[in-house]
Amino acid sequence: MSHFAVEIPTLETERLFLRAPSPADAEAYVAFFASDRARFVGGNGTRERAWQAFAMEIGHWVLRGFGSWAVIERGSDESLGYVGCWYPEPWPEKEIGWLLWAGAEGRGIGFEAASAVRAYAYGTLGWPTAVSYINPGNARSIALAERLGAVRDPEAARPPPDEGEAPCLVYRHPAPAECAP
Amino acid sequence: MIEIPTVETERLILRAPREADFEHEAAFFATERSRFVGGPMQRDLVWRALAGIIGHWVFRGYGFWAVEEKGTGLYCGHVGCWCPEGWPEPEIGWTVMEAAEGRGIAHEAALASRRYAYEVLGWTTAISLIDPKNTRSLALGKRLGAKFEYTYTHPSYGPMDVHRHPAPAELAQ
Repeated sequence: MSHFAVEIPTLETERLFLRAPSPADAEAYVAFFASDRARFVGGNGTRERAWQAFAMEIGHWVLRGFGSWAVIERGSDESLGYVGCWYPEPWPEKEIGWLLWAGAEGRGIGFEAASAVRAYAYGTLGWPTAVSYINPGNARSIALAERLGAVRDPEAARPPPDEGEAPCLVYRHPAPAECAP
Repeated sequence: MIEIPTVETERLILRAPREADFEHEAAFFATERSRFVGGPMQRDLVWRALAGIIGHWVFRGYGFWAVEEKGTGLYCGHVGCWCPEGWPEPEIGWTVMEAAEGRGIAHEAALASRRYAYEVLGWTTAISLIDPKNTRSLALGKRLGAKFEYTYTHPSYGPMDVHRHPAPAELAQ
């Protein structure tokens, strides 16, 4: 019997490991996605939707060759969130996206992880540009985008909004040359 | 590491889903033919479902294969072992594209899936969830020897009929 296999790289930052999605993260992911915290990112409060969203995190790697990583603090084994390169149907452009569990807030974890992911997108994947799609009510996510140097791009195409949600804002990241370390 | 085994039958290859399968699935789910398996469905939801099929492999260690006809490369649909959140128990499931109907392709793929479930995964029983109005699927369930047992109401998808397959020992007879 032959196998199909996809290897997902691990990224390292000063405080974090970004590793492949694992079934070990399922409970934390599903708890987040079924909670009110996920209202800006497509959660509808049900476990079925949350489970499907998590399964999609994994499948995205196979369909696109890139995707999201679980964010792990060094010395720990528990995920703090999922951050990655995101381009599902029907996204008009490739995105740097982040989902952070409540415990990850206020310590610059999202910034550190998203910076590493953007460097991977520009360096390893060769993206010429990147956006982040953010619900206008998601003030914390907007603050992170701004800290990353991304600015509103009102001209850019937007994904269709989730049912009952406002159209998202498009934040465009600085170009690769402007982000060089 | 995401690993998905490949299974061969006389006429078919059961392999990992890939991006090129998406357009076939999107075309199928754009039509009324998909009404018994959650459709019609918009393209973004079909993409999400296809990605979800791959994720299911990582969660459960088994899942749906993309079914391809040997020689022609025809994409026939997805068939396999399935048990996402909210399922009453693991099932043998099938979704067959129009071009693959009427030639026993779903039967051949479902048989291979059931054999895999019993021999490789060690399942001691298996069901198939079938919409009672889906006459083609009911006929396939019957051909596979599965018998109606009860109606299960899924929290999101509503009522579905549970058909139970013969156990491994019954098939060995």
